[in-house]
This record gives sequence, C-alpha cells and structure tokens, in this order.
Amino acid sequence: MGEFGSAFTFMADNAHLLLTKSIETIELSAAAMGIALAIGLPIGVWLGHTHRASFLVINASNVLRALPSLAVIALGLAFLGIGFVNVMFALVVLAVPVILTNAYAAVDGVNPDVVDAARAMGMTPLEVITRVEMPLAVPLTFAGIRTAAVYVVATAPLAGFVGGGGLGDIIVNQPQYRLSGVLAAAIVIAVLALATELLLALVQRMVTPRALRGETEAPAIGPASREIVA
Amino acid sequence: MIAAAAPVIPNFGGNPNSCVRRNETFCWDWVSSHWGSTLRPALIDHLELTVVAVGIGFVIAFALALLAYRYRWLETPVIGVSAFFFTIPSIALFQLLVPITGITRTTVEIALVSYTLLVLFRNTVTGLREVPEDVRESARAMGLTGRQIFLRVELPLATPAIFAGLRVVVVTVIGLATIAAYIIDQGLGKPIFDAIGTQFKTELLSASALAIALALAADTLLVLVQRFVSPWASARRAV
Amino acid sequence: MFLRRALVLALVAAVAVAAAGCGSSKKSNTSSTAAPSGQPGAGKPAVTLGSKNFPEEVLLGELYGQALRAKGYKVTIKGNIGATEVVDKALTSGKIDGYPEYTGIGLTAVAGDTKTPASAADAYNKFKAFEEKRGFTTLAMTPFVDTNTIIVKPDYAQGHQLKTIADFKNVNGTVKLAGPPEFATRDQGLPGLKKAYGVTFKFKPLAIGLQYGALDNGDVQTATVFTTDGQLQGNKYTELTDPKNVFGYQNVTPVISKKVVSAEGPAFTQTLNAVSALLSTEAMRRMNAAVVLDKQDPAAVASSFLKANNVK
Repeated sequence: MGEFGSAFTFMADNAHLLLTKSIETIELSAAAMGIALAIGLPIGVWLGHTHRASFLVINASNVLRALPSLAVIALGLAFLGIGFVNVMFALVVLAVPVILTNAYAAVDGVNPDVVDAARAMGMTPLEVITRVEMPLAVPLTFAGIRTAAVYVVATAPLAGFVGGGGLGDIIVNQPQYRLSGVLAAAIVIAVLALATELLLALVQRMVTPRALRGETEAPAIGPASREIVA
Repeated sequence: MIAAAAPVIPNFGGNPNSCVRRNETFCWDWVSSHWGSTLRPALIDHLELTVVAVGIGFVIAFALALLAYRYRWLETPVIGVSAFFFTIPSIALFQLLVPITGITRTTVEIALVSYTLLVLFRNTVTGLREVPEDVRESARAMGLTGRQIFLRVELPLATPAIFAGLRVVVVTVIGLATIAAYIIDQGLGKPIFDAIGTQFKTELLSASALAIALALAADTLLVLVQRFVSPWASARRAV
Repeated sequence: MFLRRALVLALVAAVAVAAAGCGSSKKSNTSSTAAPSGQPGAGKPAVTLGSKNFPEEVLLGELYGQALRAKGYKVTIKGNIGATEVVDKALTSGKIDGYPEYTGIGLTAVAGDTKTPASAADAYNKFKAFEEKRGFTTLAMTPFVDTNTIIVKPDYAQGHQLKTIADFKNVNGTVKLAGPPEFATRDQGLPGLKKAYGVTFKFKPLAIGLQYGALDNGDVQTATVFTTDGQLQGNKYTELTDPKNVFGYQNVTPVISKKVVSAEGPAFTQTLNAVSALLSTEAMRRMNAAVVLDKQDPAAVASSFLKANNVK
C-alpha cells in the first residue's frame, strides 16, 4: 500500500510531465469528439426527423457498440499504423454510434403532435428541426454526448500502446517510470474521466430547457442506457 | 563464464518470403498453425473471465436491487458508488488494484465485476419500478400476496429491462477483458498485445475478429434467451 | 411458466459460472511434467522459473526450463510476467524461484547501483554480490550480451571507413540516427556517446523495431538497435565497435534462490550452466528472428534449439 504513497511523490516530482501527457490525452479526446459530433449529430438528427431507417440504425448501433475498444485500436494499428491518427480513428468509430443513436432516438421521439402543430403554423422543415425538435431532443441527445465523451476519455489512454501519446505512454512504460509512475498516471486518468463526467453532467443541466429538466436522466431502457467505458 | 564450442543452430524453418515475414494482411497458415497454441486458449480464457465477472456481478447487483426496491433510500448511494467505479477507465482501475490484490485473475475479476454493477443495478430497479401500478392493483385484487406479486408479476415484467442491462454488461465486459490481458497475460487481449510491437497484422486481425465475434454472439444469445424466458415481451420493448 | 423458465436459466447460469470458476487450471503460459526416475531431477522439489515481458526473455525462460525438464526436474515456467521491477518482486515474494537477468540491468534497476562497471566480469561479480546478500545467487553467465549497438549499412561503412563509433567524427555533414525515444536522454545513449567519443547525431525517435525499415530505405544513415535482434543475423548490417563500453555489459545470468539451488542438487546448476554456455550471439539472433520475424512459438523454438544441441 506504500506504493500509493510513492505514486503521490511521483506526481509531485513530475507534475510537468503528467500535465503534458494529460494535455495530449485531452487533445486526442477533443479531436475525436469533435469529429464524432460532426458525423453523428447531423445524421442522427436527420434520420430522426424523417423517421427513417430505424431498423438499420438500431441494428448497426447494436453491432458497433459491441466492438471491444482494444480490438478497434488493433484493427486501426493493422491498417493505419502507429500514431495519433490511428487512435483518433478508433475513438471516432467508438463514439459515433452512441451520439448518433441518441440523437436519432431523441428527435424521433419528439411528440408528433408538437411537430404537426409547428408545421401547421407554417414552419419550414429546417425551422421545425431547429426550433422545435432539437430543443426538445436536448436531454437525450446530450446524454449520448456525455456518454460518448466519457467513453472517449476513458479509451484514449490506450493510445499509449500504439504510440499515440498521452497518459498511456507512462502506463506502458513501466521500465522507465516505475510502478510509482504507472500508479500516478492511473490516478490522473481516473480523475480526468470523473471530471469529464461531472463537468458534462453540469453542462447538460444548464443546456436542458427548464421545462424538460425532469427528464435529464436517460431512461434505463433504450439506447441511452448503453453506457460503455474502455 | 564457460567458453564453449559454437552451438548447433537448427533451421527454424523461417522463409524470408513467407506471408508472415512480409506481414501481409492475413496469413491463413499462421492462424491454422497457431489456433491451438495461441488463439483457442485465449478465447477460452476470455470466455471464462467474462462468465465469472458477469455471474458474480449479476448476483451482487440483483441482491442490491431487491434491497433498493424495498428501501428506496439505498438507491442513490449504490448508484453513486457504482457510477464512480464505472467511470474509472479500465486500464487505470486494473493498475490501481495491482498493489492490493497482485497480478492475478482476482484483480481482474474484481475490476470487471465493479463495471457490471451500475447498469445491472439500475436496470433491475427501474424495470421493477416501471411495472404499471394498475397491474399491481389487479394482482392485489386477485388476492395474490406480496411475494406472489413479486415473483409472478413484477419480476417477469421487469425481465426486458434486466436483459437489456445484461446485454450491455456482457458486451462491455468482453471488451474490457481484452485490456485485462495487459495485466494477467490471458484472454483475447494477449495475442493483440503480443502483436502490437511488430504490428503483426494477422495476429491483430484474428484476435480482434474473435473478440468482436464473441461479443456479437453473446449479444445474440442473450436476445434468444430473453425470448425464451419472456416470450410475450419480444417485439415492443428495448431492442 | 415464467418462473419455471427463469429457474432453468438460473440453474444453467450457475453451473456455467461454477464450471468456469473452478475449471480454470493454470493456463498455457505455465506447464509442468512429472520426472521419470533415474534422472537427476527425480524426486526433487518443484521449481518455478519466470521471465520478463519481451521475446528474448521468454525464450530464455523456455530454454532454461525445458533443459531442466529434460533432466527430470519438475519445472513450472511463468513467462511474460512483466517489467524488471515486477519480476524482481515476484522473485522476492517467492512467487517464482528464479529468472534470467542481464548483469547491467540487474545492477542499475534491481541493485540501484549506477556506477559503470569496469568489465563484463566486474558487472557480473557486483551483481552476484548484491543478490547473495538477499538470499539469491547467480549462475554462470552467457557468452552473448544484449546491449545497444550502432549499425550502418555495409557499403556505407566501407564508403566512409567506419569501424568504430568514434569514426563518425570523420563524416562530413549531419548523420541521422534512429533509435527508441529514451535513447536521446539516457547515459547509455546519445549523451554518453557524445561524452565518450565526441560524436553528435540528428536523432529520429522511432518505436523499437522500426529502425531497420528507416535504415533500409535511407531515412537515416545509422541506427541504434540491440545486439541480439533477429534482423542482425547473417551480418546483413555492419556493427560499429564501442571500445569505451558506453553501452555497458549485459550478459545474462540465471538468478535463483539459494535455498532452491541447494535443494535441487548439483545437476541443477550444471544443467543451467550448460545451457548458458550454448547461447552465442548468433544463436540468440537466429532464435529471436524465428520468434519475432517468423512469429513462431518461443517454446517450440527453444525446444528445437535444445534438441539440436542434445540437451533434450
């Protein structure tokens, strides 16, 4: 148990190293989330708005969320080689299904009467999406974004195994950093993941229109419950 | 140091032009020759790790869920603790447990079990709670005791939610167990980690494919099991 | 109907978990055999040998372990345990009885002694003295060493008349050197080379194993690799000498608990020493090549080697 004490000593002695590596991990996660949002949100919202392809979406997301994260990274390594791009690709593949499915379910599930009323008031389809469906879809969509973000931050350390940088570099380099370093990096990773979860929970609360605040917790049954971490 | 005559170095049979040497995308000869020594043991170990973790996790989560169903105040603390462990990335949790329980299967199983608790607990409790009140009322009106209502009405109706949770958990644990190989050198992660250093495509692909296939097969199996146990609930509820 | 089906399910699940939990015996990375009588190992207590988590160490563990088994000892081989620190802990906590260690690494990483040894024998003796104070001993060391080495392509060496590392001073222009990232800061790396020979390089950090590709296609003119790398077999590259021994001494020696050594009898030590004597640099290179390049199973490669030399 004294090993944990030495981990804190390592943190004190190597604060700069840990900070640099943490930033690398955060950058990787942010980049992956950015791309995943750019892909998953528009497609999910569009499919939900048109109520199309539900069978395809649900089954594809079932398959994709079953992918073990290390397996996806290994496949990325085989085809894309070592480095940042490989891991980012893997993280995007892992994050998009969650974001897409939740956005889809959220927009698809908007009360059809409300949508009809909006159309009756003369709103264009784009206005319907942006002024009616999306605000109502915020709770469930954001739950998906939050899940995906925590998943990505939790998986990003695996980049260390394939030369992608970040805190994982320390964990796979026990010969250089000793057990104290490995434990220190593990603690920092855990703190990062928890901070991401709590921060986004806070943002989710702020972003949710007051009228919908009661629904902020994603239902246990359904796509949003598929929370997975690496 | 003992000086000695030069040793006899046998021909190990390597061929500079072989599929493996050139690291082609998939070398079937490697897979067939290493199935018994590398891939199959990894697959079996992986299965064992998963079954034990989900089994133990289910027992604990179910017991806690029954308690929380009865004593509502338990729900928040249990969710809080299990969510805490759930959020810790697996590679970190494995390493943090090593000083406590060593480099053993136990360490890995403890971590894997802790990942199952949140979803199983929450889904079970929610599933039980979502049983419509009027269904319960009818059951009471029919003269069933509390215990009978639980066993014959509430639990069956909660099955879809419980199975939705089980499916998520099984798939998750299969994924996390690949990372466990970094600690205990067992499971489908072992060939993956072995192959990473040299980017040996065949091994990376075959081990990854097996892990993915295992996850999909387990998911499908659970869907079938759910239909067996609660056939009335197939089409409508969670996919 | 629900209850009945649910109970059936619960029963099946319970049986599955029980079978999985109880049925897991020690897996493929450990194995043991019984001793036919009449052999030196017959009747002796069982021994557990460990090895670190890279191919050469796994090979060494198999070589030593299988040689002992051939003499009738009951050996469990726990390969691929982890880094030096982890394996040393397994040794001191009694989980393993011995493992192969490199004299230089034993001094710096295990004994914490960072003074440069004067010779291979000096490194060995210092390490042996350290281990004996802790209740362990080291057996005969191998002829081969596994240290860093600087390589160039043969025609490059001839063209610039390079024989030793110091000769790089005579090369005009910047020389690009590829190596693992830690080489840039280690004493047994660029700083040490600069101090000892006055040579500097433009450094290209690459993950271990990728230097050969970079050297082959001309991205770099020289690279630092390990002396027993499989890629070096057959003298495909020219190694430059390191007369001042910047890279230190790294012969291998089996570290075994003293109690086990005496309990197992003299044939135990003799068997291990005989194996060590066979391990030349070329032999290790060929075996590493078989494992790392041809992806063969370390146990099988070790077995072939031992059989070819009549140890098995």
